[in-house]
Amino acid sequence: MDVTGLALRAAAARPRVLLAALPGGTAARLEAGRLLRLRDWPSAATPAQADLLLVVGPDCPRLHGALDRLWRDLPAPRARVHAADAGAVGARLDEGRALLRSSAGQREQAGTAAAAARDADRKQPETSAGADGSGDEEDPGSRHPHGGGHHGGHSGGGMDMDMGMEMPGGLPMAEQGEDRDGLTLDRLHVPLGPFLADWPAGLTIRVTLQGDVVQEAELREAAPPGHAGGAFWVQPWLRAAAGEPVTAGEAARRRAAAHLDSLARLLAVAGWPAEAVAARRLRDDLLDGAPGTAVALRLDRFARRVGRSRALAWLTRGIGRLSTAQARQAGVSGPAARAGGDVADRYRQWLADIRRDLGRLAEGSPLAPAADEGPRGYWRDDRPPSAALMKVLPELLTGAELAAARLIVASLDPDLDELAAARREAGAHG
Amino acid sequence: MGEPGAWWTLLAAPAMLLALAVLAVAFTAVLDARDAGRPVTVAVAVRPFTGVPRAVLAQPRRLPGADVLLWRAGAVLVPVAAVLSTLVIPFGDTVLADLSVGVVWFNAMEVLTWAGLWLAGWGPDAAFSLVGGYRFLAQGLAYELPLMFALISTATGAQSLRVTDIAAAQHGLWYAVWMPVAFVVYLAGVLAFSFTGPFGYPAGRDLAGGVLGEIGGVDRLLLQAGRWLWLAAGAAMAAPLFLGGGAGPVLPDWAWSLVKTLLVLAVLVLAARRLPMIRADRYVELAWVVLIPLTIVQVLVPALVNLNR
Repeated sequence: MDVTGLALRAAAARPRVLLAALPGGTAARLEAGRLLRLRDWPSAATPAQADLLLVVGPDCPRLHGALDRLWRDLPAPRARVHAADAGAVGARLDEGRALLRSSAGQREQAGTAAAAARDADRKQPETSAGADGSGDEEDPGSRHPHGGGHHGGHSGGGMDMDMGMEMPGGLPMAEQGEDRDGLTLDRLHVPLGPFLADWPAGLTIRVTLQGDVVQEAELREAAPPGHAGGAFWVQPWLRAAAGEPVTAGEAARRRAAAHLDSLARLLAVAGWPAEAVAARRLRDDLLDGAPGTAVALRLDRFARRVGRSRALAWLTRGIGRLSTAQARQAGVSGPAARAGGDVADRYRQWLADIRRDLGRLAEGSPLAPAADEGPRGYWRDDRPPSAALMKVLPELLTGAELAAARLIVASLDPDLDELAAARREAGAHG
Repeated sequence: MGEPGAWWTLLAAPAMLLALAVLAVAFTAVLDARDAGRPVTVAVAVRPFTGVPRAVLAQPRRLPGADVLLWRAGAVLVPVAAVLSTLVIPFGDTVLADLSVGVVWFNAMEVLTWAGLWLAGWGPDAAFSLVGGYRFLAQGLAYELPLMFALISTATGAQSLRVTDIAAAQHGLWYAVWMPVAFVVYLAGVLAFSFTGPFGYPAGRDLAGGVLGEIGGVDRLLLQAGRWLWLAAGAAMAAPLFLGGGAGPVLPDWAWSLVKTLLVLAVLVLAARRLPMIRADRYVELAWVVLIPLTIVQVLVPALVNLNR
């Protein structure tokens, strides 16, 4: 019996896909999500669960290291493909599947993987990127609770005792510090991002965890300057600002889809996959140009289920409080500022905005970018609204539990493509 | 008292449990397809099982610093405990081992998953996996006591810890009817010890899979199978505890057992989709402030009824 062939056919029948979205790859990510949903190829959250690594978006050399670590953690049989733009996604998926199925392709890969592993062994003890899809170049040891790699400044006498012991996998032990209750607990340095599931593309936050409480959160310089991808969600506004004719209806459609995308992420992080799928379907239909009447009924049902869910409100109440005054002071505009409250207030604001926008899809008047807000708010003096959202993040995350921290990030959902677009504009002007 | 099972029931019980779990997976796949806007066909229900040969033949994962022995032990423990729990679950009139402490046996097997999931989270030496492991302990702290009181309600009603006695003591008036709080808490407990749906906290998407995040190959298959096997075992146990076991008109006992089990399983699968994941930090409060007092009052009801008899 051809056992290898059977394994390959089984993997290729329904490949589980690890989707790694690069900054600027929003359009490609949406297309990939739509195709995976229609083909019933499950989306994996970590390399351990995946057969196929699908990288989407314009090439970004700064993230090569992190991508390579994801790839190294993928168990064989495996395949890796890169779709630079939305048009290429379908073809790349087929290519990946063919790679998975062909035993010659797998053998070739196994050869190169073994060589790479030997190289890595020679250099240093194996350190792999997170199964959480995390890890950035500066910190290859991110997967390990016992080895954050960030021991700078820590040379306590307590460590001496450990020196003689054999460490698991040759990794250093975690350092210790006082937690919020005054107990001495291990501190783990864990990067969130850049390739975490349901996470803003390109965002990396270094958190210091004690238990699962975030003690410190530090934002990493995220989006590379001026990549070629363009900011998908704010395209209508950028085009209108550049003098192109854009209707208010087109902008409303894009804004509603952006909110649905954010909601889908929030619902996925909140652990409600059935409603997250409903949000993604509505988003894809809107972007596909479906008339408002075609989606109104489904949107209504979705908004009712999510907006009136007492369970979801109970679970998100009191998390990530950001009052309107605080928000305005930090320069936040848009739904997050108008909601002026916790995670529950913010997703309800999104739902209300989506309903309002659905009535405006047919508006033919020209878009006034200064008066009609973008998905994340207004651009002020070439400062994108997402920059302000990112500014408030570290403070909101400090002291939150890991699950709450994920909800806070998802409920603000900064779009890093905006930053890149702003930088490119500034570069063009200067 | 039920009849002690013949030798072949030793094989039939795990096989039936597996069949129930397979049905639950297929039903979930069909619901997923409907929600995602894919055509619903027979193939849809079968597709998830392509993962089985894939997992069996997968390359083993080597991680630096992993505690392979404990990791594997944890993954194996969960499905094994689920299968062992069927020892005391009567099917119609037949039961593998009619222990006089059947309810305690079921409860003990369920508590083994605490150890199993904690070890599975600890094993890979990875932050998210570890957090997933202790998330289950926090969840256990919340669900376990209300669940125990729910189980005790039925035992108090029947004045026996023997599962077949509990099924027989219901005399046509199901415990689900006059102990509704215990029944609902029991069903929530089933979702919790199978870490599914609203109680999928230890394997949350926000943790990139938590305890399931790093595990691969056969170990992963076992841990996931454990999830579904526990869901099936919990549904099967609901029939004798709360729904009168095999009692019912016209049909034979075994058929009633099967119908009741399938209905409970369907309810569990549907309910799991209608709620977001409940974080243990919020659930502990609800469990200790509301559910434990409620279930204690629920235990008092059959106790007082029996005293007045």
